[in-house]
Amino acid sequence: MTTDTTTPDEILATPPGDLAIWFFIFAELLAFGVFFVAYAFARARHVALFNESQQQLDITSGAINTLVLITSSYFMVRAVAAIKQGLSRECARWIVAAIGLGGVFLAIKLAEFHDKFSAGISLSTNTFYMFYLSLTIFHFMHVILGMVILAAVMLKAKGGGYSAENHTGVETGASYWHMVDLLWIILFPLVYVIH
Amino acid sequence: MDTAQKRRFIRPCTFVWLLLMLLTVTTYLIGEAGLGGIAVMLAVLGTAVVKVQMVANYFMGLRRTRWLWRGIVLGWLLLVTGLITIAYLTAIK
Repeated sequence: MTTDTTTPDEILATPPGDLAIWFFIFAELLAFGVFFVAYAFARARHVALFNESQQQLDITSGAINTLVLITSSYFMVRAVAAIKQGLSRECARWIVAAIGLGGVFLAIKLAEFHDKFSAGISLSTNTFYMFYLSLTIFHFMHVILGMVILAAVMLKAKGGGYSAENHTGVETGASYWHMVDLLWIILFPLVYVIH
Repeated sequence: MDTAQKRRFIRPCTFVWLLLMLLTVTTYLIGEAGLGGIAVMLAVLGTAVVKVQMVANYFMGLRRTRWLWRGIVLGWLLLVTGLITIAYLTAIK
């Protein structure tokens, strides 16, 4: 693990966290990017169907979940700031709060899925729902993975495993979590709002 | 990182967080009003581009890295949103 003694004014050669997570992040951006573009071009072939089906989505839930993920992401910024000062317990508390909001996101999304599945909607209902369900379930799984990563980082932070000089793991977990937020920031307007 | 450095690290991020919340509410209100059309699509997608850039540069800390890292994210973002725009315009014709 590398040692970090950087200040906020320095230009870094590589992004915060382990460089490996950044290659993983870029691969994820590529995968989701293809998915987003495929959605847009599928919509171009079935505009009326997509617009009609989109109106059945709960835009309020989508918006609340955006606020939840953005805030959770901000909590991870605070967790990184705390560990950079060597405050392990404060860092762990911010991560717990970030994970908690991840749980809120999952609960709201599950309620949305429950509504749709109860109405008899499935992947095979139509092209819009095929995209809506696969895109959001794919993202949902990334939220779960992010929460598992953050839980591991939080336990290590709580046990004093990081310090002001050595906290690459916290930045690695935070970078992945910000990516999950970043993807939802595009997914929400694309699937719930634009028509 | 001392207290002054911590403040310089957190303050811009707190401002960005509040801005992100505000922009999200704006997008929500546009969606709730059922607004559509090219101008609305460009405004909503443009807002998403700004938001992603804020998360990448401030939350992810890319503003403190070499241009290459910011360039990869910005290039990906413009390619994806550009293709989404083309797809949307194709649908109108």
